[in-house]
Amino acid sequence: MVQINLPKNSEVKKGIFYKDKTGSKNIRKVNVYRWDPSTGENPRVDSYEVDMDNCPSKVLDILNKIKNEIDPTLAYRRSCAHGVCGSCAMNMDGKNGLACTKPHAEIDGDINIYPLPHLKVKRDLIGDLSGLYKQYESIEPWLKTNQKVETTEILQTKEDRLKLDGAYECIMCACCSTSCPSYWWNGDKYLGPAVLLQAYRWIVDSRDDERKERLKKVADELKLYRCHTIMNCTSACPKGLNPAKAIAELKKMLVTANL
Amino acid sequence: MDNNNPLSPHIQVYRWHISSLVSISHRITGIVNIVAITLICFWILSLLLGESGYDLTKLFLQSIFGKFIIICLTWSFSFQTLSEARHLVMDLGYGFELKTTKITGLLVIFGSIFFTILFYLLGKGFF
Repeated sequence: MVQINLPKNSEVKKGIFYKDKTGSKNIRKVNVYRWDPSTGENPRVDSYEVDMDNCPSKVLDILNKIKNEIDPTLAYRRSCAHGVCGSCAMNMDGKNGLACTKPHAEIDGDINIYPLPHLKVKRDLIGDLSGLYKQYESIEPWLKTNQKVETTEILQTKEDRLKLDGAYECIMCACCSTSCPSYWWNGDKYLGPAVLLQAYRWIVDSRDDERKERLKKVADELKLYRCHTIMNCTSACPKGLNPAKAIAELKKMLVTANL
Repeated sequence: MDNNNPLSPHIQVYRWHISSLVSISHRITGIVNIVAITLICFWILSLLLGESGYDLTKLFLQSIFGKFIIICLTWSFSFQTLSEARHLVMDLGYGFELKTTKITGLLVIFGSIFFTILFYLLGKGFF
């Protein structure tokens, strides 16, 4: 269901202002969404003045600087810092992306940082992705083959292997799914771009023998056809993939396949 | 998971771009067009009701407010048609690159304004 306004307990209040203490002349204001589960209060946006002279180039570096030097209570997920693990996915400057690959120089004015949109917040910038993981599980993202012998490789031509390019690189950071308005309103039923891209990845894999069953599974009005090519997913993907195109290909396959 | 946890901001903070604007406008113009068709039905109905009924509708449609509505509807029909053409191409699997969606989106927006002006001038007997 479309619900434009946030529920009462989610309305964002004005937070604490942390004034710069370094005396630096190169200051940027960073506004960060905060919510502490132990207080029972509404979420708030804290503002930090950060000394940019001693800060590396990415948004994650700013967050690390805030946590290390200004406010150690700030909570956010991060791990590899190289755009490979997908942990630091968040909403920066109104667009989803990985904090570790997003240069803060690309952002004009104040830097606004929010958790991934339309998720239940666990704390500060950490959203609850368990719903998405359940949906991912539902498409059975593993190879299903009728081949009896398990000791030999299943060969694939170069052309068939090429079909997986643009699909296998997905790191499941959830930037795309949580950027999608259709997923916001129908996230309980609509699978969302991330999961549909993975569904596509297994459907086009020449080594998989359950193509038809997989196609039948996603052939549902709400599971697949909530995509209205808003293109937020593709424009958000930090790996440069195109989930919207994969969804279009799935729709095309469903029209042409003899199910 | 505790259901009392807050919901993170979504449409309040998410940045708009050409494709999302075209997508939402496609929906809105679709709804507007249904209302527009009803209006056209009333117009035709007034023909059946005789001269006085038709004159009344004509008076309304020729007022500044009526003209404003007709120009808006011309735009919404133009937009819907162009945007639908864009969707048809996308349904064939083409035009999903970010740059292409931006260009086709801009074409829809400026094309609809162009057609509105064109129809206005046609109606005025400009050509």
